[in-house]
Order: sequence, then C-alpha cells, then structure tokens
Amino acid sequence: MDNKYIDNMLVQMDKDLSSKGMSRRDAMKLAGVSATLLMGGATNASASTEATTTSKAKGKIVIVGGGLAGMSTAARLTLNLKNPDITVIEPEKLSVSYQPGQTLIGAGIWDEDDIAYNRDDFVPDGVKLIEDRAIAFDPMNNKLTTAKGQVISYDYLIVATGLQLNFEAIKGLESAGRAYSSGDNSKLLKALGDNGICSIYTAQGATKTWEQMQKYIAQAKSGKKTKFIFTDTNTPIKCGGAPKKIMYLTNSRLKEEGARKNAQLVFYPNGGKMFGVPEYHDAIVEQFKREGFEWHYRHNLVEVDVENKIAVFDSKWQEKGPWDPMMKDFEVIAKHEKLRVPYDFLHVTPPQIAPREIGESDIGSAAGWVPVNKETLQHIKFKNIFAIGDIAQVPMGKTGGSVRKQYKVLVKNLVALMEGKKLTAKYEGYTVCPLITGIGTVMLAEFDWTVKPTPSFPLDPLVERWIFWLMKVYALKPMTMYGMLSGKA
Amino acid sequence: MQIKFELVTYDEVLDKFELDENIYLLEIDEEQEKTYNLLKNTDLHLYNWFKESDFFIDWIKKEVYPSSIGKKFAINSINDIGFFRFYFFKVTSGDSHYDYFKKLFDIHEESQWQDREVVGEEILKALALKKQELIIELKEDVIQEITQPS
Repeated sequence: MDNKYIDNMLVQMDKDLSSKGMSRRDAMKLAGVSATLLMGGATNASASTEATTTSKAKGKIVIVGGGLAGMSTAARLTLNLKNPDITVIEPEKLSVSYQPGQTLIGAGIWDEDDIAYNRDDFVPDGVKLIEDRAIAFDPMNNKLTTAKGQVISYDYLIVATGLQLNFEAIKGLESAGRAYSSGDNSKLLKALGDNGICSIYTAQGATKTWEQMQKYIAQAKSGKKTKFIFTDTNTPIKCGGAPKKIMYLTNSRLKEEGARKNAQLVFYPNGGKMFGVPEYHDAIVEQFKREGFEWHYRHNLVEVDVENKIAVFDSKWQEKGPWDPMMKDFEVIAKHEKLRVPYDFLHVTPPQIAPREIGESDIGSAAGWVPVNKETLQHIKFKNIFAIGDIAQVPMGKTGGSVRKQYKVLVKNLVALMEGKKLTAKYEGYTVCPLITGIGTVMLAEFDWTVKPTPSFPLDPLVERWIFWLMKVYALKPMTMYGMLSGKA
Repeated sequence: MQIKFELVTYDEVLDKFELDENIYLLEIDEEQEKTYNLLKNTDLHLYNWFKESDFFIDWIKKEVYPSSIGKKFAINSINDIGFFRFYFFKVTSGDSHYDYFKKLFDIHEESQWQDREVVGEEILKALALKKQELIIELKEDVIQEITQPS
C-alpha cells in the first residue's frame, strides 16, 4: 500500500475530526469499532490480506478490460500462479479511476483529480498490456480480434469489460451516444447542454453535475421555486444507490445555502420500492419523509424535451384484475401512460447495457451480459471463459464491493480449472452500498442473495453514521486503489 | 384416513393443463398416514411421495383413470394443499405466487430495476421445466419374468 497516500489521507481525516473537537481514537470509540477495523481489520468491509498459495499451473490468460475488476484479477493471479502468463487488453488510459467517487464530485466534495488514476501505474509486474479494444470473439477457437486487427489466442479468457451507459436510448439525448464512466465524454456533455441536465454516471458528467447543481441552488436561493428531478432506469444498474445519493447531497447543499424551502426534490424510481432489501427500503422511506422529498414509483425516463425542459416518463401502475378461479386469486393488470414533468434541474440515470462487441458475440447472452454460473463465475457454455464485474450476468453484482468478493472467487476457480480440479469457490451475492444520506452521514447497506442486511460492523446497519461517512470519504478509496488493485484486499 | 385429491390432465400437443372437476378420495393405511403426517407441510416433498408411490399409481389406474395407459396428469391439490400455481401461473398472477416462485427458483430481483413482467417471464421459463417433473404418466405394469436356474 502507498504509505504516503495513507499518511495524507489520515492527516485529512484528523483535520475533519478535530474540526468536530475529536481525536481519531474518540471517533472509533463513538462508533464502537477499533481503529484497525476502520483502517483495514478482519471484516467483510476491511482491507484484509489473505494468505495465498502459489500454483504451478500453466496457461495463457487473457483479460478483456483493465478496470477495477480486470486489473485486480490480474494482480491476484500473479500472486497465485508461479509462472503467470497474463495479458490485459484495455484501451482507456484512466480505466482504473475510482468510480465510487463520482457521487462526491457531483456534490463538489471531490474533484476529478481525486478519482483519476493512470491505468499504467496499476499493471501488475509481469502482466502484458495491450492498448486496444477487443471487438470480436471466437470462443470455439479460443481467439479474439482487436480493433487494430490483432488476433490474440488464449487458453483462458476473463471478460471484465464493464458496461456502457446508453444515453442514446433516451429520446432527445440521442446525440449523446453511449458512454463509459471514464475517458472522453465530450459528445455526452454536449448533448446534455448547459440548461440543467446532468448525470454523475461519468467522471466528466459528475463535474458538470456540480456546476449545474450550484446554478440551480443559486436560483432557489434567489427566491424562485426550483424543481430538482432525479431519475432511475429500467435496466440493470451499477450502484443502484447512486441516483439517491446525489439527491441526498443536493438536499444537503440546498440546506447549507438556506435555499431548501424554495426547492422541490422528486425521485422517480423505476420499480415499486426504494431498495430490494425490505429493511433498507423502510429506512430510506423514513429518511425521504424526514427530508421532505417526494417520490413516485414505477416511472422510467424515456424522453427529455431539452428545449422546453420537460422530462417524459413511462408511468406504470397495476390494477386489480378479474378473479382467476384456477389460481384462486385476483389477477394483476399492468397499465402505463406517458407523463410529462417540467423540471429545472434533471439528474439522469442512464439505461445500462453490455458493450455491443459482447452482446453481439457468442459469449454474450440474449440480453447482452456474459452468462455465467452466478456462484463460480464460469461461463455457462465455454468452460475456459469467466466474467466478472458489471458485464457478468449476476444478480445485484454491479458494484465495486461485489467485485471485491468476486475476484477472489474467480481466481480460485480459474486456478482450480487450470489444475484440473473442481471449482469450489462460490460468490454468494455480497454487495455493499454506502448510501450517502447527507454531507457527513452514510447508511452502510450491505446485503447478499439472502436479501437480508449482512453488516460487517457490530452496529445497527439501518442507522446513518458519521463514522461511515469518514470511511466512505477517506478509507474506501485507498482500500480499493492499493488493496484490491494489488490483489490482496 | 382419507386423502382428498384434485387432479389436472395434461394435453401434450397443446402443452396445457385442464382441471379435472372431480374430487377423488383415497383411503390410506396407518403406515401411509404416518408418512403423510410427516410430509404434509413439505410442499413438493409431499407431492413427490405420492408421485413415486406404487399404492397411489395403482389407485389411479384402477379407480381414477382406468384403461388410460399413456395418460398424463398432475396433482392439483392434496387435502387442499394446492399445486395449481405450477400449471396455471400467468404474468398477471398475484404477488403471492410471484413470491413463492422467486423463492423456489432462486430468482433474485435486482434491487430496483426489475419489472414484474421480467420476473414473470423468468418464472414461466423455469416452470416449463419444473412442470415436466410434476407430470405423471400412466404406464403399463412391468411384468418381470423369473427364470429358474437350470
């Protein structure tokens, strides 16, 4: 781990604590946890280093995608294989940038430099990097082709391309095209314009969000009633908590400026609840009531009338249908209609899809994602292919927290496969959403496929805590950048 | 003890179940009653016990569907414990049926995005396989020839 970075981070954290008249030790006491726990103890949310064994297994491993998932997997493989032969294919120079920080950029707490990391600084020793994009896959012959025409063969393939943000699927934003979280998003920024539309789902978009947020907070402060709208999407979503986090942070900034009374904050979830885990759903609803937010379930943004500042939603609802004598129950009839909602500030959560080269290849499913056994992460058809992170067809698995569990499972299973052994490691669906509920408070929502809270800390997981804010702002980034990306945490 | 059965017949060509409007009563002996009491709250284990039991199949062949070799049917209810949702589930069916199948088929909803219709289609896909396991086909009795050693 980079000691200089950690030292800087601790200095910042201590400053933050002393402004509240506390020492780090006092803060830990208050939270009921030890300092080692916050900075990397032996819990699910910690940066613990696990003992690894080195295998003599051989084989050419190609990893498509060098973001957090791909590069962490490469790093861990180098720790687990005696003679690793690993190639990572990644065209984007800032691919390992720290995406969870985009929410903080959107609220002016961090800036883009705080999350921008150079891919080349994180390529593990001995791993080859090809600066290119894989565009065609031939899994029957264990080959792939890159955009520059290079044909690359492999014995084992790991797909870690991430997903694309499909802004062009929203009518009125077609010119935005599709975007990735990092890299050049000038086309997207141009399409969003300078009239209140924004999205934290890209790093540059997050900066724009902060610009637009300040503009409309100033409008509210001037006494004009101002409507802030936050949308959701009807596709699988990376960090499902992000649309709510930016809403909470907007609320905080409005309060800081004394402008909250002139602002109307409305959230439009696509589904019929705030969160898949009932306990967290209930807690969020209570927070929404407390903060005076409005919300309307089952609304999917389908169009933006940029000129007239109107968001068009596909509004869905259910009605009680006729009695079904065979099922001994009433049917449920789905209805929907278009709803036009004027806005001043519109935060867009884009539809999210698999990159075309995956969705249209033999390794992708009909829905585009790579179909894997959700526990072993092995492709359901091609046994020498694995997928990890946003591109893997795994329920609830599109967060950095999920990847942190997945990459260890994948490496264990891949090494087992290379040794001709059974795949025994299992991903159990763990994911984590540090739900920022204001500047200074976070509810740490951890859960897995049991759809129950699975807290790593001996604290009530439904309570919003300052200690988790400190963890979000100071500890999770180094844990990710220097723990996970070294293959150890 | 008497057990009350409702049955559904299966039309292979149409891939469709139809309710047999009759109620059938089966008398079980003491040993079978003990097993029934052990399994009555186990949902599909109860179903499979009857499905795999000779006394049940023999009763069906003799009393319920005589001279019907090749007939395919399934159990709709056993003493009012219903299995009807396996045969008649639709995307428009009520939430309780969704909850039952999500648990049975290990379907995990994404935290926010997944529409009821998407889950419904996934259930129907899983049901297409599951219902094949529940269908009972009446077959000829196998007569084993016992040859005397010479």
